[in-house]
Order: sequence, then C-alpha cells, then structure tokens
Amino acid sequence: MRPTPRFAAPAVVVALAALPGLVSGQAPVGKEAAEALRYEALSFAPPAPEVREVEGVPVLYLADHSVPLVTVIARFRGGYGLFDRASYGAATALPSLLRYGGTDSLPPAAVDEALEFYAVQTTFGGGGESVFSSMNTLSEHLSVSLGLWIDMLRSPRFDSSEVEVWRGRQLESVRRRGDDPQRLAFTEFNRLLYGDHPVGWEMEEGDLEPDDVSPDRIRDIHRRVACPEHLTLGVTGDVPWRDLEPLLQSMLEGWTPCSDTLPPSPIPDIRREAGVFLITRELEQSVIVMAHPTSVRLGGGAEYFSAQIGNSILGGGGFSSRILSRVRTEEGYAYSASSLWTTPRRYDGIVGAVTRTRPENTVPALQLILDIMFDMTEAPPTGTEVATTVDQIVNGFVFNFETPAQIVSRRMFYLAQGLPEDWLERYLEGIRAVTPRSIRDVFQRHLRPEAMTILVVGDPDRIGLDALRRLGPLTFLDIDGAVIPR
Amino acid sequence: MRRSLKATLALLAGAILASPVVSSAQTRTPGERLAVREHTLDNGLRLLILPRGGAPTVSFVVRYRVGGVHEHLGTTGIAHLLEHLLFKGTTTIGTKDVGAELRLFDRIDDMHDTLIRARGEGDSTGVARLSESIAALEDTARSYVEANEFDRILTRAGARGLNATTTNESTMYFVELPANRAELWFVLEADRMSNPVFREFYSERDVVTEERRMRVETSPGGLLYEAHLDAAYSVHPFGVPVIGHMSDLENLGRRDVDGYFRRFYGPNNAVVAIVGDVDPGEVVRWADRYLEAVPRGEEPPPVVAVEPPQRGERRVEVVWPAEPALRIGWHVPDVFHEDAPALVILSSILTGGRTSRLYRRLILEDRLATGVYSSLGPGQRFPRLFQIDATPRAPHTAAAVEEAVYEEIARLSATGPTEAELGRVRNQIAAGNIRRLQSNLGLAFQLSESASLFGDWRTTFRLSERLRGVTPAEVSRVLGRYFTRENRTVATLVRQEGSP
Repeated sequence: MRPTPRFAAPAVVVALAALPGLVSGQAPVGKEAAEALRYEALSFAPPAPEVREVEGVPVLYLADHSVPLVTVIARFRGGYGLFDRASYGAATALPSLLRYGGTDSLPPAAVDEALEFYAVQTTFGGGGESVFSSMNTLSEHLSVSLGLWIDMLRSPRFDSSEVEVWRGRQLESVRRRGDDPQRLAFTEFNRLLYGDHPVGWEMEEGDLEPDDVSPDRIRDIHRRVACPEHLTLGVTGDVPWRDLEPLLQSMLEGWTPCSDTLPPSPIPDIRREAGVFLITRELEQSVIVMAHPTSVRLGGGAEYFSAQIGNSILGGGGFSSRILSRVRTEEGYAYSASSLWTTPRRYDGIVGAVTRTRPENTVPALQLILDIMFDMTEAPPTGTEVATTVDQIVNGFVFNFETPAQIVSRRMFYLAQGLPEDWLERYLEGIRAVTPRSIRDVFQRHLRPEAMTILVVGDPDRIGLDALRRLGPLTFLDIDGAVIPR
Repeated sequence: MRRSLKATLALLAGAILASPVVSSAQTRTPGERLAVREHTLDNGLRLLILPRGGAPTVSFVVRYRVGGVHEHLGTTGIAHLLEHLLFKGTTTIGTKDVGAELRLFDRIDDMHDTLIRARGEGDSTGVARLSESIAALEDTARSYVEANEFDRILTRAGARGLNATTTNESTMYFVELPANRAELWFVLEADRMSNPVFREFYSERDVVTEERRMRVETSPGGLLYEAHLDAAYSVHPFGVPVIGHMSDLENLGRRDVDGYFRRFYGPNNAVVAIVGDVDPGEVVRWADRYLEAVPRGEEPPPVVAVEPPQRGERRVEVVWPAEPALRIGWHVPDVFHEDAPALVILSSILTGGRTSRLYRRLILEDRLATGVYSSLGPGQRFPRLFQIDATPRAPHTAAAVEEAVYEEIARLSATGPTEAELGRVRNQIAAGNIRRLQSNLGLAFQLSESASLFGDWRTTFRLSERLRGVTPAEVSRVLGRYFTRENRTVATLVRQEGSP
C-alpha cells in the first residue's frame, strides 16, 4: 500500500526543517550544534563536613541555612549479619521496634502523636552490618524533636503489643513472598549463591516464633548494638554548632558502653559451580538472574576502578551500556536489563546480570547476555565507550554535592568502610586512569560467563527446557529453594 | 537567592502551628512569593525559571498537557509509546543517513498497514510472515542508526536522571545538568521538539509490551489497579490504562504516533520549568534563540467525555496466584470543586500516619491488615476516585477488612473529626510544603504541573493553602455526600484455586 499524502508529507517537512537556515531565526540545533558548544569550567568549592566529638561519639556536622530544617543521621555498627541465625528475627525487628515500640517514658501512641504533631520525619532501617536512623525536623522544634528521637534510640520500651503487630506483619510478608516474581527471584538467588550466610538468609516462619521475637530478645540485641562506641552521628541543616553541641551533650551523656564487642560478619562461601535453576511460575514474563563470585574489592587498587568503568560499559550504565543497547534497544526483548558487580570491602562480591522478558525470549535473551560477556573478556571496549563513562563521572561530579545530607551520609559511609576521607577525590583520579586495555584485563581475570549460576522464574513449557539445558545442567527448585526431583 | 528563599520558608514555618489559620484570597501565600520568572514565546511555549543557590546544577522539566485522558479504545498507550520514541533522536542525532532511514520507514509502515488488515481477516500465516519482514526491514534500517545517541550526548555531559513519565493528564521529560552545561539542554530539546524521528519503532513497541508485562501482567497490584479503574469508569478515559491494552499496543503503527505527535506536541501545549543555579536573563536569551522557532502545533482537542453518576455498587474480582488484596473507590469531584480540600484532609485523617483512624483500627487494634493507604486519583482535572487500598493479614479476609473500613467511615461520619485531628493534619501539610521546596527537580515538577494543568504556577500553592481552612463540618459533609454504597466500586484480588 502506498502511504496517503497526509502521512507522507510530515516526514519530508521534518527532514527539511533540520537543514540549517530553512527555519528562519532559529539558531542551529541538533548534533553539530551540540558538539560545537563550549563550556566554562565550573567554579565550585564543595562544602566539607567538620568532624567533631561529643561524649566520645563522632559527629559529622555541616551547616546549611538555606531552609529552616535540620537532619540528623545515626549509624550503629551492628546489623543482623553480626548475629547468628537464631537471632535473625530479633535483629531484623530492632530498627522497626525502635520506631514503633515506644520509649521508657512514653507509650507507642504518645511517641506517634508527638512525631506527627511536630511533623517530624524519621526513618529506621538496618542491613547486614549496621542499624541506622534519620530524623528531619523544622529547626524551631529541634530541641524537642532531637530529644524524643535520641530517647527512641537509647531507651526503647519494645512494647509487647507492638512487637506482636510487627511479627504478624512479617508473617504476612513471608506468606506473600511468591506473589512478586522479581522479589522471589532475587531472594532465591541470594540463597542459592550465599547459602547459610546472612546475605543468603530469607525470613521464614521459623525465624518468627514468639520466643525468638520477644521484647526480651529484641532488648538483648539492642543492648549489644545501641551503645556510644558503635555510634556515628551526622548533622546537617539550619542549626549553629554552639546550639547543637549542648543539646547533643545532654542527650548522649551517661550512655552505658556495650558489655561485649560484636564480631565482624562471617566470610561467605559463595557458590562457584555453573548451573541453571528454574522456579516454575506460569507467567507472561520470566525473571532472569545470573552471577558468579569475583574477588574485586572496594578500594582494591587499579582493578577496582577498571571494574567500575567496565561494569558500566557491560550493563551498569543504562542506555550507554552494551546489555541494554542490545537486549532492549536492538532486540526489543526487555524493558529492563543490566549487569551487576558488587564489591564488598571485606569479602568477595559477585558479577552477573538481570533481566525480564516474555517466556519465548528467555533463552535468546540469556544467550545474548552471555555472548556480550564473552566479548568483554576478549576485546577491549572502544575508546568512546570508556570516554562516555569517564566523562559522565567527571562532568557530573558536582552531583555528589547536591545536598548537605548527601555529603554527610557519604562521609559516614567512608568512616564505616574504613576508607580515607578524600576517597571521592582518589576515586576521580582512579577512574581517569582506566584504559580500554585495563578493562579487558579485569574482565579476562574476573568474568567467566561459562561459570554463571543462572536462575529463571518462569513457565517451562513456553521457555523451552531443551534450550535451557543447553546453557548448563538444569535443576528445578520450589519457592523455598528446595530441589524438586524430575 | 539563598537568603530570600530562606526568608520565604521561615514565614511558611512560622505559620505551621498557628491556629486558627488566616485565609484570604487577596493575600499571597509564601510559596507564591518565590522569585519565579515567567517568559512566554510567540509560539506559545511557556517557561518558568527559578534561580536557586546551592550546588551548581540545574533541573529541567518539559511538560506536555497530554496523557491517558486523550486516548480512546484502539489506540490506548499511544502517549506512553510516544514518550519512549522521543528518546530515539532526531534528523541529525541518532542517525548515519536519515534519508535512507525515512525511505525504509515508508516501506515498513506500508507493510504494517497490510499486517493490521491481515490480522483483522484472521490470516495468521500472513501476520507471521509480515512480522518477520518488518523485523528484517527494521534491522536494515538499524544499519543507519547511531543507537541511543541522544542519551549518550547527555550522559557525556554529566547529566543525571534523564527520563520521562506519562500520567493520565500529562507527559513529562526531565533531566538534571551541571550548571555550566545548561545551554546544551536548549540545543537538544529544540531539536527534539522540531525534528524527532521515530526510528526503531517496532522493536521499541516490543519494549513497551515488556514494560506492560512487568508492571501489569505479572504484578498482582498492577492487575488489581487496572481492573478497579476499568470497573469504576464506564465513559471517562480515567478508566483506560495509561500503558495501554496489550492488543492496542500490538496494533499501533508509526503513522498513528506521527499524527499524535502533531496533534499534542506543539510548544503551545507545553510548559518548561528550569530550577537551579541559572541566570534567568541568560535562560530567556537561550529560549528566544533556540526554542522560539519551534513551529506552533495544532490546538489539542479537549476531553469531552463525562462520567455519568454511578447508580449502584460495582464489584470486580481478579483471580490470581497471590494473597488477597482490596481496593475501594468512591466517585468524587475534580481538584477545583469546593469539596476537594475536605477530601484531601479526609484522606489524611483516615490513613496519614500511625495515628490515623484506619491505621489504628486495621493494623494496630484489630490486626486485620498489614497496610492501608488512601489517595485521590488517577488525575486532578476531572472527577476522580477517593481510593482506599488495603492488604489483609491472614487469616482475615478482604471482606472483613472492607467491613471494618465502612464501620470507621460511618463512625467518622457520625461524629466528625476532632479539632486535634485537624490540627495534626494541618501541621503535616504545612511541613510538607516546606520539604517539597528542598529539591530543584521536585520544584520544577510542581511549577510545571501547576502551570500546565491549571494555567498558573501559583495555583498549587493556593490549593494547598485552602486545605488549612477546612472545618470538621466540611469533612462530615463530604462523607455524607460521596461515601455511599451506590457510589462505590470494590475490587478484590482472590487467590486462584490450587495455586502454590
């Protein structure tokens, strides 16, 4: 069929409009005009937090008087990964119950009312290595807000009714574990790779027995975590130090030190054997996760920087990366597709990829990602690929200093990881030294597409088991990670 | 800049705990005093520029007043598909030979027209053959493509957060740039507004079907949301999913999107908000220099559909291998209606925080649910739904949760809210008004939304101010007026028999 003139005309108009000079008065736009732009250097001295100490607690302080708000961040060393599995429920409960469980002097409802009346925003969370919380308040209410928040962290009540509500909600979350295929895939993948290590733990009914998650058990974890020698504070916002210091002093003094030292989290024994695993779910889209361990560590010299840039080119850098360009843009297989490369400080990380695609495209998408990985181990990336990633980091460096809270949080992270305080500057130097060759070398040493553990959540009839088996020995799993004999 | 903003905010803060609240149409609210510079070009493009201190970065949002409400069955999802295609480049960006590309597009699009007819005639062999031919021709066209070049130019400039989003009422394109590279945005956006090329069309359409599979077809929450709106609206396009029905997506062609772009994407239908470390005079010069020549577009047709009054309770079930979920929606008026502020306050009284009525009853006291939320939507300019969604906690059923929701609403309706409840909600709203001024991108979203949907960037601040004057009697009145059995639609997710 010939196109009707109505449709054909605009394409011509569009094409002509791009020729310089045909649209009257418009300065040149488009590719050449973009390339012709020249930019002045940014002159910007990023503010740096001051490191002070109050009652032995390090306080990172950065004033910001642009808005009448104050943010305070607390980080305690001591996440669930520092305890054994028997304490997993109680250690996971701790952050939530600091928020919900009331204080020695106030029942939970009174805490809620005070926070809501003063419009204080709080967050409470935890990870494998730490428990953290933040508080944001109007500066005029700082004294009362800070007092209440420190009280919540220091003298929690762990009200039994609130503990029971928390336990019930967790049990419901366990019950709903299989409802979201991506959540199911990620948690099972962690279990597959890390086994009985905190990274591989998935909350189960057995972790939530009333005796395991009692107020006393949580109180015991609190006693071992929430003490001044585990604490770092960060403060940003509209408060002068001379007003802040006495407030902090009165709130932190007399805080009992911990009775014992917490050991570091165990070193994981990450699965190294290749294999393909399938959790059967009759869905319109499969979830695919794959990875194997690597020994590149955060701060680990030149290799670390090559891995950072290399991962961005492989699949971490969005549309500039190979995986998204080929899997999404070229083939239309997926909406999201990316690589992952974790680099913990103390132990091995993993390198791999994730995507979601319709069942029939599962194996083609998987194969394509593996092919892209093979290519990365064989030939260096192009100069343009490296320059794109390095330019993004260098030219966008200023985004590391957008908000004072971001600056302070980052410094708290460096402290926790034992990184030097000028780590960000060293990072910039490190990535500038990365070359196409150094990236090829890091992939040759650390990426082994043939050694991937691959997990698929999806519909075996539509995926095609024979095709899947060609990628490696196939094992069927149920949603609790148990092998289903076939 | 920094100082004047702080002074403004201090005024806002001071007003928070004060009661009763002074509310006068003549008095400008503190938010309205922000130093926003307005500039309108001859082609109708409106710019809002707000210079701010802090790190040298700039946020850009361009918002078109078009979205799901402009769609009809058969072409649902077209606004969102177009959003994806506007990242494919222009006549000079993303191409090695645009002439060769455009010639191939004609052939591909003819073939697609033929495919649609074959599909209509049930000719599955023909459809399969034509699909393969289209894919092969698109691969040929791809040899002329510089993939993702638009993205790469911005990435190399250090851009952050390059993305876009389509809602029921607008489509927004946004990015943040280091301040010294602000001019680049004008060069690229003027080009995109004037010379877009919808290359890689059919593979990108596949990408959007995968997005739909992810957000809807494999997501119990997504499925329930879609079924709920579909049941609640019989006429108004609020009932149509923004991402589009799967069969509509599979039949949309490049020519449909071309036409749609011409109808809705003129500069006269757009608002640009620029917030950050910029000199407003320079921004105006760049706008005049680059954006002035973008040709004016057609006048977009208005949305004329009116949802008729609902004459009885509607109930819909989604059967799915997942734990139960519940959504309830009552038809309520648009954002300008005199009852709108009381409905916002009511939402906060019911589910805003742990002291709210439904949270206390469902989660803390009776422990029937693990979560409960309420919202007004899915848009603002047209009559919408007051929605409650809740997650039942086993062994309690969705029916038990639903019953408790109605009981709490009846109780509130009988006695009205307390002054303390209203005071808490007013404080939270006022503090929220300050917090949302912290982010450049957040402000750019708000200013552009207000100007695009309501005609004036100040309107959102004024609407927020109206909330503070809501009385207990007004909350009672809206409860009596809208929260009836015949005006509600209930959707439940029910576990499939025998599913794991």
